[in-house]
Amino acid sequence: MSVIEIRDLVKIYDGSAVEVTAIDNVNLNIDAGEFTAIVGPSGSGKTTLLNMIGGLDSPTSGSIIIDSVDITRLKSKQLIDFRLNNIGFVFQSYNLIPVLTAAENTSFVMELQKREKSLINERTKSILTDVGLSAKMNSRPNQMSGGEQQRVAVARAMASGPKFIIADEPTANLDTKNTEKLLDMMEEMNEKRGITFIFSTHDQRVISKAHRIIVLEDGRIIKDEKKQ
Amino acid sequence: MDRILSVSWKNVWRNKKRSLIVITAVMLGTAAGVFTSGLMNGWVDQRIRSVINIEQSHIKLYNPDFLKNEELTNYIKGVAPLEKYLKVNNKIKGFSKRIKIMAMAATSRGNTGLMLLGVNPDEEMVVSELYKDIVPDGGQYLDNNKPGGIFISDKTAETLHTKNKETGKYKLRSKIVFTFTGKEGEMISQSYRVCGIFKTSNTAFDQMCAFVLDKDLRSAIPLNENEIHEIAVILNDNSDLSSVKDDINKRFPNISALDWKELAPDAGMMSEYMYIYYMIIMGFILFALAFGIINTMLMAILERGKEIGMLMAIGMNRSKVFKMIMLETVFLTMVGAMVGMAVGWLLITITGKTGIDFSSVEEGFEAIGWSSVVYPNIPAGFFFGVTLMVVLTGIAASLLPARKALKMNPVEALRTDN
Ligand SMILES: Nc1ncnc2c1ncn2[C@@H]1O[C@H](COP(=O)(O)OP(=O)(O)OP(=O)(O)O)[C@@H](O)[C@H]1O
Ligand SMILES: [Mg+2]
Repeated sequence: MSVIEIRDLVKIYDGSAVEVTAIDNVNLNIDAGEFTAIVGPSGSGKTTLLNMIGGLDSPTSGSIIIDSVDITRLKSKQLIDFRLNNIGFVFQSYNLIPVLTAAENTSFVMELQKREKSLINERTKSILTDVGLSAKMNSRPNQMSGGEQQRVAVARAMASGPKFIIADEPTANLDTKNTEKLLDMMEEMNEKRGITFIFSTHDQRVISKAHRIIVLEDGRIIKDEKKQ
Repeated sequence: MDRILSVSWKNVWRNKKRSLIVITAVMLGTAAGVFTSGLMNGWVDQRIRSVINIEQSHIKLYNPDFLKNEELTNYIKGVAPLEKYLKVNNKIKGFSKRIKIMAMAATSRGNTGLMLLGVNPDEEMVVSELYKDIVPDGGQYLDNNKPGGIFISDKTAETLHTKNKETGKYKLRSKIVFTFTGKEGEMISQSYRVCGIFKTSNTAFDQMCAFVLDKDLRSAIPLNENEIHEIAVILNDNSDLSSVKDDINKRFPNISALDWKELAPDAGMMSEYMYIYYMIIMGFILFALAFGIINTMLMAILERGKEIGMLMAIGMNRSKVFKMIMLETVFLTMVGAMVGMAVGWLLITITGKTGIDFSSVEEGFEAIGWSSVVYPNIPAGFFFGVTLMVVLTGIAASLLPARKALKMNPVEALRTDN
């Protein structure tokens, strides 16, 4: 059963001078529990595709159906709530809330969801322990390394209980060791908690960890291979 | 605690230096506004107190004809039932029956027109605190056991040369001769000896009034006990003012009861409108400060574009983003305003005890009835009003920055490299 069904997706940026077809008629299904990498050269449309799947950007045409909801038809207000309850985000430059601790950053989305206080505390603790940060719960982002911050970001993305997590180049700012640690942790969460990850990357070592690799070029899918 | 509330509060302190500059400006502005209001209120309070306790009392009763024409024979009609009413009404602290005559006063070296008031000291001292305003070495107040005395002001003493110009010493017991028109238009002459000298903060009052024993004045005209021109009434509580006045006007159709707000319209107006005036001052100050606040918040929003984009991406809706920025602006404003109010209050409390003497700066205040030593004060309610205005200013100042934030597109905001 697919969590994401993408049909005839087109995104054209009609900027000042030239039209850029960033996504050119993409059809794609993503199933629950996938650990999928979107790869391709710079400018191939990875970010554009992920932004549209994540409901941050709207396509020129085509549809994106997430659990039988066509998110391209949602109004911006509904879309925000949809994102809150269905999609987790991990960004390249961590993007944590700087004034909040790791635990508070993780709780934040659950508080936006108006979950029960005791449940939030319990879940925050268990998730941060899972990502290996039980000792850093009360640290602020500026007291943590990039790798640790990105793990908090993954924890935050998981906390809301999303259908999938989107991560646009999550390791681009990390060194080799932290890249490996983050990927191992994400893979563990994928296996242990059944979390669906869709991430983009340039990094060959990251690509090699993926269970499915979708290659984009000039906005088209030129290759889609599943391992095993 | 609400998470958005705490995030907003913490955001205030992210750029400490920038926030502290605005907070300091708000603090200084608020302190200045509060203190200025306290100063003015001190003045107004003193003026009103002097109007009630010396110049006018709370309510004055007249024969309506006397108000149109201060004729000697326009006595209050039906004094006996009126007096009975005034005695039993427990809202009334006391009253004083007076005779009022315009007279020419003359000594061997000067003359002037005066309002001669015949009073009974026992009654008068309950109604008026004038007896407390005797100048140093200025003799005594009127005494029923010492007939023939007159209580005049320092100003009158100067005019009539009953004060030594060089030494400033008063010539007590010196004789003043009064001339005035009797019941039938005949000229009456009567002399008094100065028994005491007073000085109030109102020069006009001082130049106008002189006090003698009612029985002395009565015998000269002559008038009987029931022939009086004015009854000055003092209440236990100023808040009963209109109820007592209205009651008297209703019960005694032959009497005109006027309260101090009507008798001294300038003071009446001030007591009604000063509060609004203070709020206008505070409003202006806060309005000016709002620009600094808006500027700071706009800078903060611009700096935090990426973060706000992220918050919207992960599912923080527009109203929560708005709330966050509005609260941050209100906090930023509140911190300075709270400290400013505390400083203003402290200044008022200190100077309210010591007083501020303006006599060296400004001679003219007393001529228009204003005391030259001011004791600033402000009612607690003022601070509630200011707090409310500060919150409203914070909310108003947040609108533009919040709008800016809401216009941000998460995709755009996240794309910007840091
Ligand atoms: N806002 C925009 N306006 C105009 N053109 C855009 C805009 N955003 C992206 N593009 C163009 O769309 C194409 C796809 O861009 P996108 O950012 O999706 O590529 P990418 O695969 O993520 O690249 P990279 O690996 O460098 O991040 C590019 O040609 C880019 O120039
Ligand atoms: Mg990209």
